[in-house]
Amino acid sequence: MKKFKWRADVTAVTVVVFIVCIVLVSVMLMQFRTIEQTDLIEIETMRESELREALVDWKTKYEEVEKQLEDVNKRIEEYNKTIEDNEAASELIDEELKESNILVGKTDVYGEGIVVTLVDNDNYKIIAEDLIDLVNELRYAGAEAISINEIRVLATTDIVDMAGYTYILVNSQRIEGPYVVKAIGDKEYLSSILNLRGSGFVDRSTTLGKNVSSRQENRVEIPKYNNEFKIDYMRELESE
Amino acid sequence: MILIAIILGCVVGALIGINMPMISYTYSGYLAIAIIAALDSVFGGIASTLNKNFDLKIFVTGFFGNAILSILLTYLGQKLNVDIYLAAIVVFVGRMFNNLAIIRRYYIEKWSENRRKNDKKEENKTVGK
Repeated sequence: MKKFKWRADVTAVTVVVFIVCIVLVSVMLMQFRTIEQTDLIEIETMRESELREALVDWKTKYEEVEKQLEDVNKRIEEYNKTIEDNEAASELIDEELKESNILVGKTDVYGEGIVVTLVDNDNYKIIAEDLIDLVNELRYAGAEAISINEIRVLATTDIVDMAGYTYILVNSQRIEGPYVVKAIGDKEYLSSILNLRGSGFVDRSTTLGKNVSSRQENRVEIPKYNNEFKIDYMRELESE
Repeated sequence: MILIAIILGCVVGALIGINMPMISYTYSGYLAIAIIAALDSVFGGIASTLNKNFDLKIFVTGFFGNAILSILLTYLGQKLNVDIYLAAIVVFVGRMFNNLAIIRRYYIEKWSENRRKNDKKEENKTVGK
């Protein structure tokens, strides 16, 4: 090494070599340590900052979408709930409607009850007033459905004498004797009321000489109201 | 003297390197290329010394210039999505092998020359006897 032709520069060369050695060795050691200590997973994540940014981006997007999904699911649930509620409500309404129909008389009904037969005899002719009296008394005794000669008696039913007591109109339909009045209700109670001594309809009528008899029955069938329900004039009042 | 400088420089460099903070993995690729370039310069310097045409200016500028240039090229390659560092590695390592071959040849020649001289001396001795 001492054969350099520029021996004068040997100090400079020494200094340069010294610095070069320092730089090279220190940088190499840094590199070794870095490579040794860097975790594999960390490498994967640190390799490209873009990758990381993309990951973050996707994550936020994912979260957003997930949130939206949750919202939509919630809304669907709400809708389902509403539908269920509506179904329940409609079922309730359906039931109510059925009940109303039964009560109003739009359906054929049956049940235990009482059958009262009124027959004209020589002494006494059955008139509308008798029937009205009987119907009233049956209602008083708690009859749920009443018919006269298979004609349903409703709240709107008219029972009137026509042509000088020659016949009776029920629901504007002409009927003639014998009159069979059927009523559904507690048969014992109905019959006891009708046969009450002194005040019951059957008792009073027989005392007056009318041909009236009653009998309890386990199954009384009453047909539905066979006319149309017409509402021409009345309107529902807005109740508030 | 230069040998002392090399040993001292290596020790100081090792101490500094151990106590330096870790650099992030992202930049270690640049550092590796710089190290390869520097090593190439060092071997080039040794080879030129053996050929007796060592130039301090060329060595210093080659050492730092090649390191910095290789880092810059690697960075550019990453920006362009081209693996320029591969080219740098090929060039530097190829040159390193070249220089190592020069060094090896030099010492082999020296060694065989010495042997020949010794043989001659022994011959002379035996002839002298």
